[in-house]
Amino acid sequence: MPGVLWLTVFFLIPYIIIIIYSFLTSGIYGGVELPFTLEAYSKMLVNAGYWQILWRTVWISIIATSICVGLGLPAAYFIATSKHRNIFLTLVIIPFWTNFLVRIFGWMVILGRNGLINSFLQLLGLKEPLSFMYTPGAVILVIVYMYLPYMILPLYSAIEKFDFRLIEAAMDLGAKRAQAIWKVLIPSIRGGIGAGVILVFIPALGSYAIPDLVGGADGAMLGNLIARQLTVARNWPSSSAISMIFLLISTLGLLVYLRINKVQNKRRVQVSEIYMKEEEG
Amino acid sequence: MKRATIFLFLVLLAVLSLGKGNLILYGWSDYIPEEVIENFSKEYDVKVTYDTYDSNETMFAKLKAGARGYDLAMPSADYTSIMIKENMLLKIDRSKIDNLINIDPDIIEQMYYDPNNEYSIPYMVGTTGIAVNTLYLQDYPKSWEIFQMPELRGKMTLLDDMREVFGAALKYLGYSVNTTDEAQLKEAKNLILEWKKNIAKFDNELFAKGVISGEFWVVHGYGENIFYEATEEELENIDFFIPREGSTMWIDSFVILKGARNIDNAHLFINYILRPEVSAKISDYLLLPSPNVPARELMEEEPVYTAQEMENTELIKDLGRDLRLYNDLWNEIRFGL
Amino acid sequence: METKKVIGKRRFSMTITTIVFVFLYLPIFALVVLSFNSARQGVAWTGFTLKWYAELFRQSDIWAAFLNTIIIAVTSSVVATAIGTFAALALYWYQSRLKSYLGILVYTPLIIPDILMGVSMLVFFVAVGLPLGLFTIFLAHVTFCVSYVTVTVMTRLEDFDYSVVEAARDLGARSRQVFTKVVAPIIMPGIMAGFLLSLTLSIDDFVITFFVAGPGSTTLPLKIFSMIKFGVSPVINALSTLLLIGTLFVSFFGSKFRKLIF
Repeated sequence: MPGVLWLTVFFLIPYIIIIIYSFLTSGIYGGVELPFTLEAYSKMLVNAGYWQILWRTVWISIIATSICVGLGLPAAYFIATSKHRNIFLTLVIIPFWTNFLVRIFGWMVILGRNGLINSFLQLLGLKEPLSFMYTPGAVILVIVYMYLPYMILPLYSAIEKFDFRLIEAAMDLGAKRAQAIWKVLIPSIRGGIGAGVILVFIPALGSYAIPDLVGGADGAMLGNLIARQLTVARNWPSSSAISMIFLLISTLGLLVYLRINKVQNKRRVQVSEIYMKEEEG
Repeated sequence: MKRATIFLFLVLLAVLSLGKGNLILYGWSDYIPEEVIENFSKEYDVKVTYDTYDSNETMFAKLKAGARGYDLAMPSADYTSIMIKENMLLKIDRSKIDNLINIDPDIIEQMYYDPNNEYSIPYMVGTTGIAVNTLYLQDYPKSWEIFQMPELRGKMTLLDDMREVFGAALKYLGYSVNTTDEAQLKEAKNLILEWKKNIAKFDNELFAKGVISGEFWVVHGYGENIFYEATEEELENIDFFIPREGSTMWIDSFVILKGARNIDNAHLFINYILRPEVSAKISDYLLLPSPNVPARELMEEEPVYTAQEMENTELIKDLGRDLRLYNDLWNEIRFGL
Repeated sequence: METKKVIGKRRFSMTITTIVFVFLYLPIFALVVLSFNSARQGVAWTGFTLKWYAELFRQSDIWAAFLNTIIIAVTSSVVATAIGTFAALALYWYQSRLKSYLGILVYTPLIIPDILMGVSMLVFFVAVGLPLGLFTIFLAHVTFCVSYVTVTVMTRLEDFDYSVVEAARDLGARSRQVFTKVVAPIIMPGIMAGFLLSLTLSIDDFVITFFVAGPGSTTLPLKIFSMIKFGVSPVINALSTLLLIGTLFVSFFGSKFRKLIF
């Protein structure tokens, strides 16, 4: 299939380049030279600060992703079950056709010291403006904002094809609606949830424009470190090495997602088998 | 089918740009006034494309990775030095740049890495300083000390630039901005960690807007950015100064890149920039002192600071492998590593 | 529709959805309002003006960048959606050794940080001798968009009842017919979602594009980034407002158009 050819050429090769680079020593001014060495990895792994950044990046991403699920699931449910679903869907996407940076700036205008929220609060009598910006909270907020549609879209796709007669069946069997939704719908759309999580969590892990602009002096995330090692420190192997660790985490997440999918497919087959037996019997 | 369309489109583009001569510039955003480029373009019948980058580092990373097609770039002194060492530049034919005599010889003296201008021609010289929004703050020392004031916590920014911030700290402590003495660097690092407690963030992009809008009261940055952003009214509330302990100096130069295709046009352009009237226009636009001696008479605006005021500034030099020292300390400061 | 009875009033989800929409549009609203504000920065309203729009029309390089962005977004999304759909189908149905290899390949771009992807693609293009320009941007965009499309289409495929395909085959349909008349309509929402996702990603991409762009092939994100640092931001707000109006326009007429087709 031509798809395979394309993919091989464009994905595999750059991927390999990165892997190889991480094992080389750094040239003085960037670029890479022999000999092969594990120096990049060893320097990084023994450094406590590195683990701190990793940890910060991971927990910020987890919180942001969870918020996305929490907001995205009900929203996707509402949209998928409504008559005007196409309109809603388009409305969700449209803000994202403004530019990424412009959207961040929009938030800076709202959250800034002289921004919308503070101006409003000062009207109500607040004396000193509150600082929302340059905090982990601001970073999480903006990450959620940026990636929410990437959660909503796959969820919508999954819910839309869900057979609601299963809910009906469950309610006929005595479950309350909330129960039915929780126990029947959610497990069925596990694949969609997984896709959404992947599409949010991983970019969140790698974000660097967001912490750069709205994060504080101590708010650097992994993406910032990778970028910095590449450009300022001109240490390509180090940058690649850090990325490898990042890739490992992401791959783990990916494998979990794939696993869930397999399990879920089996489960669905079982459920529909049971249902059909009910119908017959 | 799509590929054919794209191909056709590219061919069309290529065809459209034939006929006129070409010149591809790679420089800082808004660093060369549009008017100057347009006038050059008309006079020599050359189509100029001006691509931009936001930092020496990204420019270098891209060129080092092999990007081709750019004729001229505008690196700062330390990167010019690196690019020379890394063989990324073509030699300049000085017979084509007769306007070079207009450049202040004091500046050329500073260019230790290229004393005979074989590879680089200076475009602008400047320094970094501090800007204060006087609407919010009226009583402050004109010194790097300002970053130690706890009353200003959360209302200041430092540049997200290792050499600049270290330069500031080292100057305050009375050392050279290019020192490789580990004890001195450690002292500087500790000082910066103190400063870090008081700043809202490290910032390279938004300090100008920030100080004008009052988002920040004190910022570390480049005067020309601030003056470009602010209106006349707003400028009355901004005080930009070079701290009394001194500061860093930078020199941005034109270099011709290996792989340049329009070498003659590149020379024409450089020589054009060095004309006094053109240089004066540029300096008026950027509000910076001109490196071009005859241009100084022709300037209409007052620069943000004069060459005299820059006495206490020191050029940032490339440090080769010793940069690791700074890097490790900066990583500690910036990332807690 | 029976579903109505099942899903009930959806009070909870409706509330959340409202919150979500307010959240999504808050900064948009701020931007649009500010584009008419005569102050150059800050939030204080200093008067209504259209000067930023006038300024916007004067700057031809913004429009050139905009055009580039649209061309690349549309072309790369179409190609990426096609490849991605087939990849999803292949991954889902065909059992072969190729499958796991293909799987890893497809998912990889999702997890590589853009900056590395950008630099490595640049290195690759240079090594192959491909001159940087719109074409290289196009290639890079297709590369990362395919993965997103694949993942999106796959969620749609999960529930796909293969017996429908078997039935169609039994009835004598050939492979192409099976695809166009049976498979495609069922997974179409997934394909459309993937296409939209790809468009969004492409329009917005900054880092990767920065590294693989050639002289003169600036896209809108690159242009905006350079402007935002040293330029005038209300002009960008004006541009964004226009873009918004444009997309609203296109999508509402687009849906009417789509109803005609499907």
